[in-house]
Formats: sequence, C-alpha cells, structure tokens
Amino acid sequence: DATQGTPEDCHPCPCPVGATCALVPKTREVVCTNCPAGTTGKRCELCDDGFFGDPLGQSGPVRTCRVCKCSDNIDPNAVGNCNRETGECLKCIYNTDGFFCDRCREGFYGNALSTDPTHKCKACSCSVFGTVAGASGCSQVTGQCQCLPNVAQRDCSVCEPGFFNIQSSKGCERCNCNPIGSTD
Amino acid sequence: PRPDVHPLPPGTHLLFAQSGRIEHVPLEGYDMKKENAKTVLHLPEKVIIGVAYDCVEKMVYWSEITSPSISRASIQGGEPVAVIRSDLSSPEGIAIDHLGRTMFWTDSMKDHIEVASLDGSHVFMVNPALVTPRAIVTDPANGILYWSDWNREAPKIETSYMDGSNRRVLVKDDLGLPNGLTLDSQSSLLCWADAGTHQVECMNPAQGDRRKVIEGVQYPFGVTSFGRNLYYTDWRRDAVIAVDRYAARESAEFQPQKQTKLYGITTAYAQCPSGQNYCAVN
Repeated sequence: DATQGTPEDCHPCPCPVGATCALVPKTREVVCTNCPAGTTGKRCELCDDGFFGDPLGQSGPVRTCRVCKCSDNIDPNAVGNCNRETGECLKCIYNTDGFFCDRCREGFYGNALSTDPTHKCKACSCSVFGTVAGASGCSQVTGQCQCLPNVAQRDCSVCEPGFFNIQSSKGCERCNCNPIGSTD
Repeated sequence: PRPDVHPLPPGTHLLFAQSGRIEHVPLEGYDMKKENAKTVLHLPEKVIIGVAYDCVEKMVYWSEITSPSISRASIQGGEPVAVIRSDLSSPEGIAIDHLGRTMFWTDSMKDHIEVASLDGSHVFMVNPALVTPRAIVTDPANGILYWSDWNREAPKIETSYMDGSNRRVLVKDDLGLPNGLTLDSQSSLLCWADAGTHQVECMNPAQGDRRKVIEGVQYPFGVTSFGRNLYYTDWRRDAVIAVDRYAARESAEFQPQKQTKLYGITTAYAQCPSGQNYCAVN
C-alpha cells in the first residue's frame, strides 16, 4: 500500500523472478499475476495442466515442472492427465491403470508398457460357465482366468480332455466312457 | 474492487480461459480490442476448462478440473460462487440455456452430459454413453443440444433435444479431434474447430450442408462465433485467432502476455439474442 507514507509501504513481490504481483484488498493477500512459463498459483507454486512437480519445493526438494509421465498411455488431447503435484496419472487409456498407467486395469491383461497399443491390455473375457463364481479378473500377465475343476484354457471355456458338461457351471464331469468300446 | 475481479464495461466481449484465469477481450464491431484485454477473474489454483455466459443475469460460468466444480460470477464484478461441487469428475464444456434457465456440461470421465438449474440444483443426466465428450452448445429457441466427442476411434458431433430425446449423430465422417463447437444463432450455423483435421467447418444442422471455412489451423481447443467471425483458442499458438467466415481467412490474432494453453472461449453478448423459448410456443 503506497499511500501510508512509510518506508515499508512497498514490498518486493514474493514471486519468482519476472513475475508481477497484486494485493487483494479485502483479504490483504498477495497474489502473483505473471508466473514463469509452466507455473501458476498464488506464489507460482503449482505446475500448469499437463505437468507435475513442486517448483518452489513446498513439500520437499524443488522439482521443476515436467510433462506428465504416464507410460505413453494418456492422450495429449485430454485435459487433467496427471495430478499437478504428485504426477499421479488420472486419465489412463488403452485399458491401463496405476500411478503411471503402467499396468492393466481390472478385467484386462497384457503388457501395459508395450509400444503397440493393440498389444497392450486385452479383456480377460473369462467364460461365464467355466470360471469360479465372482472371479471377474484374470492374471495381469498371462490372462489366465480362475477355472472351475477340470476346466481348461486361458479363458476357462472348454473342458479338459475326457471331461464334459461345462454348462453345469460347477466344473466339468468325467466322461466315464468304456475304454474298450471308445476310440481315443 | 478486488484486483482479481474486474467488472466488464458494456458491449460485447470474448471471454476465454487460460489456466487459472478468465480473460476478456472487448469487441468493437468484429475487431478484438487487444489493448483493452484484461483479466476478469484470477483463480490461481484452478485449471479452468469450459466457459459460458448467461446474457440474462450477465454471469460467467466455468468448469474447473483440479477440485472438479462449476462456478459462476457476475461480470459486473462479483465474487465467484461454486454452484456444483460434488459428483463431478472432469467437467469440460459448459453451455447455458438462457431461456430455460438451465446449464449443460460434458464430463470426460463420467462420459455423459448433465443438466442443472443455474443455481446448481436439480442435476440430471441427459445423454449417456459418450467416450470423450468435450464441447457443448445450446440452441435455446429450439430446445436443442449439440456436442462433440473426440473419441479417437469414432469422433462425432451429436445432437438431441434438451431432455436427451431424439438423439442422433450429425457428423461422423472426416473428423479428427473436434475440440470446439459453436452455434451462431443468427445464421443458424453450427461450426466446429478440429485439432485432428486442422480445419474449421460449418454446417446448417437442419439442411446438413457442410462446408470448410479454413484449413491449416494448428491446434484449436475452443471456438465461439459472433456475426461474420469465428474466434478460436489454439494450444500451439497460445492465442485467440479470429477467422472471417465470409472471406474464409484468418483476420486477427490476440496473444496474451502469458504464454500457456488457452481453453474454452465464449461470446458475452451485450444483449441476449432474440428468441422465444420453445416451451412458451408449445
């Protein structure tokens, strides 16, 4: 406040070099108005959208603002891709999930870090008949679903050789064929 | 007055979001009065995406994604007030029906469109099953909504009545990333800015005639219309660019001092466009 007539009327802006500031009269709060590139916030303490870091080191060492690090599993046309402070990825695509979009989301399997989007994460698609009731997921890496007794295949869709009746949803039953009168 | 809330003088203005601020540029005729550009609202902790204007109460509405909310403030100098603070994930485009006194918005994480009274009460979901919805505009006189979905697999521009009925796809061919959408109430032209095809195009939704306005745009995000001009924000140029629809060329550029991404843009009309509520007619 330059109108008080004391040497302390004007203070330097509490902002990084190059920024300007203004005083909010009602709250007497000082707000930086022209933060350096990539930063924002009352004190230029935050990163712009699409970046993360802690440019003033308010909660630890100084981390300059960097582009969201999400394993190439975010879309540059999206907004709010990561938490601007922690960098936690918020908009994973290609059915990925996790802090860095580095694993498949529930119900999907594969390699989230594959460079080819078609090889990233595929749906488990577990058979409704051959899978343990209530198990919706599958192994993150192999995609193996949780099969009922005597049920085979990654997706638990067929009976093991010598077994039948997958539709029972209780696992497959032994065929009980006479070994003399049956082929194979 | 607070230095972060500047009342706007009378006249027509462009309002646009840049990180944690809503900036304005007055229009004189169709020209941007760049030297009179100013910050209307400074909310340093927010990331503001969508901006809309209610010409009746002269309020600006915006969506914000850091603590997902929708807020409003009088452009004649008022405190920002959050009207929706819960059940939002990533609100983006926002549009006002100044006749029906409602607002509509897209949510790119909940993947649908919602509607509420302007004070934030009576929230309803109107259009489900979207993929990456972004821009939304209203046609208050006819009770119609238009929105864009930039889904990389199947980008489209869709329309429905304001209650969500009569939903249909308006445009699906030769689209890339239709980030911006605007309806000029006078010419009834729906125009979109596409960051994938790098074009701005228009069509009359009733007739379906589609035409290119300008090619080679860099990375448009929001677009708004006023008379013969379209104004779009651009992520590469960090600027607002005016395009003359009739001459089919760029006519002016405004680059704010701060160089960072610009998001939604809207026209704050001096007066509401004339038109009767479709409900009043029926």
